[in-house]
Amino acid sequence: MLLQDIPLPAIDLDYIKLYHELYQFLSYEALLMSERRYDDWLALFTDDAVYEVPIRVTRERGAAWELSPTGRLFDDTKETLAVRIARLNTEYAWAEDPPSRVRYYLSNLLITSRSNDLPENQQEVTARYNVLVIRTRGELPDIEFVSTHRQDRLRHTQDGWRIAHRTIIIDHSVLQVRNLSFFL
Amino acid sequence: MTTIPEYLVKMRETLPKGRIPAKIFNDPQVYQLEKERLFSRAWVFLAHESEIPQPGDYVLRWIADLSVILVRDEHGRIRAFRNACTHRGNQVCKAEMGNASHFRCSYHGWTFKNTGELVGVPYHREVYRGQLDKNEWGLHPVRIDTYAGLIFGTLDPNADSLETYLGGFQFYLDFFLRPGPEGTEVYAPPERWVADTDWKICAENFGGDGYHTPVAHQFGFALGFYPSTGRTHFMGFAAHIPGCGHCIGIGHTPGLPPFPGFPPEVVEGYQQALTPEQISVFRDARMAVATVFPNLSFLIQPFSLTPGKPGLKFCTMRLWHPRGPGRIEMWTWCLVPKHISPELKQEIYRVYSLAFGAAGTFEQDDFENWTNLSRQNAAFNADTFELAYLQGLDWEPLSDFPGPGYAFTPYVTEIGFRNLWGTWLNYLLTPPGERVDPTKVPPAFYPAKHASAAE
Repeated sequence: MLLQDIPLPAIDLDYIKLYHELYQFLSYEALLMSERRYDDWLALFTDDAVYEVPIRVTRERGAAWELSPTGRLFDDTKETLAVRIARLNTEYAWAEDPPSRVRYYLSNLLITSRSNDLPENQQEVTARYNVLVIRTRGELPDIEFVSTHRQDRLRHTQDGWRIAHRTIIIDHSVLQVRNLSFFL
Repeated sequence: MTTIPEYLVKMRETLPKGRIPAKIFNDPQVYQLEKERLFSRAWVFLAHESEIPQPGDYVLRWIADLSVILVRDEHGRIRAFRNACTHRGNQVCKAEMGNASHFRCSYHGWTFKNTGELVGVPYHREVYRGQLDKNEWGLHPVRIDTYAGLIFGTLDPNADSLETYLGGFQFYLDFFLRPGPEGTEVYAPPERWVADTDWKICAENFGGDGYHTPVAHQFGFALGFYPSTGRTHFMGFAAHIPGCGHCIGIGHTPGLPPFPGFPPEVVEGYQQALTPEQISVFRDARMAVATVFPNLSFLIQPFSLTPGKPGLKFCTMRLWHPRGPGRIEMWTWCLVPKHISPELKQEIYRVYSLAFGAAGTFEQDDFENWTNLSRQNAAFNADTFELAYLQGLDWEPLSDFPGPGYAFTPYVTEIGFRNLWGTWLNYLLTPPGERVDPTKVPPAFYPAKHASAAE
């Protein structure tokens, strides 16, 4: 997870094409979330997908970890994401009725690895980028925000890009949200 | 000294009639009083022993707005100190957890051993010329005591022992803390977040609010996670320790095997670790939810990763830490039985994290409700707005219940909450320096046949 282990990607035409392809895919995916089209959003995950948000702990410099090896805010598979969405689709998801407004601001995209040795429709890339998640709710003028860094393993399937593994690194060790009744 | 709002004095009369002024749930004056009179004198939960297993392990915790270092010293003894250098009050420990033999202040360099002893003072000879007695300037100790892995602290040197404070509630706590002879451990560090929610409504809810479950968490029934019907949902017991504030709700579903929803090794663990009386109370428990006064709660309930699959029981421990009037810092842990396999611990944690924590499917709706009610109850005239705490006012306690305190059936009632708020009020109305006397807390129920005596 250490940045110094990541070489600065070399820019060539392939990289530029891929960069825009991924940026468009991730922007599209973020829009689906903002528009609460969660069933369509879920379809962008591979069947073996992992979606995880480790608990962050403030540690001394040099500590073995800051992201808990065991603790998770989300510890999900495609199956449990489907459960969360099914819940949100009931009439009883009080936390999201009326719905929150959630925006995802994506930036600082780096494609940090590419597996060209895999078959055509299984090629994977690792993308790292920042997402500022801003939630507005009800008539409250205040915002709740979550500053995050994502590490995605994205797989190129015959249907296009799909999310195979998403790790979301939160910057707060104490979040300032009433709940996470949306996705990061 | 903070003045006592008049409506709190009046609450002494309205509480036994099942009426509580809404303002208690969000009032700067009440928050100030809570710091000065409640959190300064109660036993406040600090940590689970498994969070600091090795010599030198420490965590940072809170008592009211006081930062407390909880550390296991080199001899294995657990100690607690105010996280403030005795020279200028600077924070000597800035990490939430770690391992340290010493804490060194980054301002002038005073250094303290993890026993609290002041051992290092830069330029000691030049600036103090032998006039500084290091023995006098160690870190300020905080009195601590433990029960079944839980470490509590109190700022009151004259407070009753923790054992007396718990007042027999240990009988019920063991269901959460003794799923086997080796007890429990935390699976992961606590998840924390702040919200505009008053800590008290959370403590009350986890004191046994079975009334909200079928409505607030209706999704669970709608998706098919819970087969229990409205009728069986109410079955079970509510118990409280009079004058101490602690309360529990135990939901029973008849016709299930003993300790339903627990893996076999945990069923066996309970049978070894609990007394026959405890087993008779908990063997049919579908779920149990309890609050240790003032702000520590536990919940055991079943859940599964997909609807319709058999539920697996998890245990969550949570601290409702007040951060201001109508503002909470939420701490939640998953407790797992120590004696089970790592794979099973992980399986339990995954079920827990789908249900609880900021993203938990149950927690989401609770915080929506609690945040909104905290906001409404901050209104300028909310002291004139009475909330209905009328359930079970005239109920008769069970005479043959094996557990301590008063117990009632069915489990959905508000009796324990009146005892909780009576205890809370007793702390707030007892002036500093005086002993908080549990016998001054009014009864939480007035059975019809004794009504004339209560008048």
